[in-house]
Amino acid sequence: MRNLIGLIQRFYVFLLFLVLQIFALYVLFNSNNYHKAEFVQHSKDWTGSIYSFRTQLKEYWILDEINDRLSLENAILRSQLPENVLTIDTVTRFLPDSVNPQRYMYKNAHVENVTINRESNYVMIDKGSSSGVEREMGVIANGSIVGVVTSVSNHFSVVMPILNNNFVASVRMKDSRDFGLLAWQGGDPDKAIIKDLPKHVKVSVGDTVVTSGSGYYPGELFVGIVDSMDDRPEENFHRIVIRLATDYRKLDYVQVVKDLFKEEKEALIQAEENGADNN
Amino acid sequence: MALTIIKNIIRIAFLILLQILVVNRMQAFDGLVLPMVYIFGVLMLPFETPRWLVLVIGFVVGWVMDLFSGPPGLHTSATLFLAFLQPVIQKIFSPREGYEVTQRPTVQSMGLPWYLTYAGILTFAHHFWLFFMEVFRFSDFFYQMLHIIASTVATLLLMTIGQYLIYTSKNSN
Repeated sequence: MRNLIGLIQRFYVFLLFLVLQIFALYVLFNSNNYHKAEFVQHSKDWTGSIYSFRTQLKEYWILDEINDRLSLENAILRSQLPENVLTIDTVTRFLPDSVNPQRYMYKNAHVENVTINRESNYVMIDKGSSSGVEREMGVIANGSIVGVVTSVSNHFSVVMPILNNNFVASVRMKDSRDFGLLAWQGGDPDKAIIKDLPKHVKVSVGDTVVTSGSGYYPGELFVGIVDSMDDRPEENFHRIVIRLATDYRKLDYVQVVKDLFKEEKEALIQAEENGADNN
Repeated sequence: MALTIIKNIIRIAFLILLQILVVNRMQAFDGLVLPMVYIFGVLMLPFETPRWLVLVIGFVVGWVMDLFSGPPGLHTSATLFLAFLQPVIQKIFSPREGYEVTQRPTVQSMGLPWYLTYAGILTFAHHFWLFFMEVFRFSDFFYQMLHIIASTVATLLLMTIGQYLIYTSKNSN
């Protein structure tokens, strides 16, 4: 016993290091990749307010650019107003809601912090559960996708952007309508890759990639354009690098997408799976 | 004594804020150079700090960094490793008679060659641990090494320049 105490006294620093290190590594490797941000949820309200302060400062300097973009967007939206469109068939504009129910709702949010130089980047926005943001909602900006909400606190949410090793989304080629998977391989924050697109599909540099409509985002959102291709003869799938439409360096305002039919869809899938179990 | 404690706490808090508000936003060479200046607070701890306290401080500093960025546990793990090595390196490079009470681990107190060796080894160890733990694969080994070395040089440069700016040789604590 005395030997043991003597041993502990001699090596207590190393033992303390070992205990703390094992704890740190346990936390690191046990934080499930997808919900990695969950862990820090409790603290995000105060870390968020520090980031808010910086963003407010920064925003002051780029007001010009924001104004330009807003007025441009206003102009585009204004030109889409019914008053500016020559409509002959007026009946279509007054279709009752029960025939054309609303599918997606959008919530405006402001970006508080973005990282782009890690392997697992994240985006923090200033809307949380008190504004109705929930996990697994899609986030878009300027008509292209930004990412998906992975964790929510009262006033802030953390979004997993395309620039994350764990990100994956279903996309399709605008022309050929073929599906592929959007992912990121690290490095350049302007580029991403398309996986699982078979070789018989004709793809050329400059082709447009849009969302497929399955998953967290509405369909036909602009994702990016094909930047380069690096096909290998021994593989059955294209190796496509695309240039992303979203510029994460300049991200400021985003919209959180709420799929109003999400529960209905999930219930259907749930029922289908339960049925398969019974058989 | 109390003054030293307060000074160190303020320094560590300031450096963490500097790291998350300013340095993390720097985009040098597409993210290749990513200095981690917050470890300066741990490197500046006085020689007579007990080893267990260095470990605890390292743990807390890493934990706070993790709250602000990255997956949980990443900075904690790397900063702990640094805090464990720090007294070992100090012992290896100590003068023959040991450190005097007035001496501090700064450029002004110990000289530039001593400081670059001391801070260089520890910064490299910290960055190596941090960046490899983050990626956790050895596939892009050479790019990762370049990333680590470039970031180490940047961190060292910032820490050394910072000391010349803040401390004069007479007022070196």
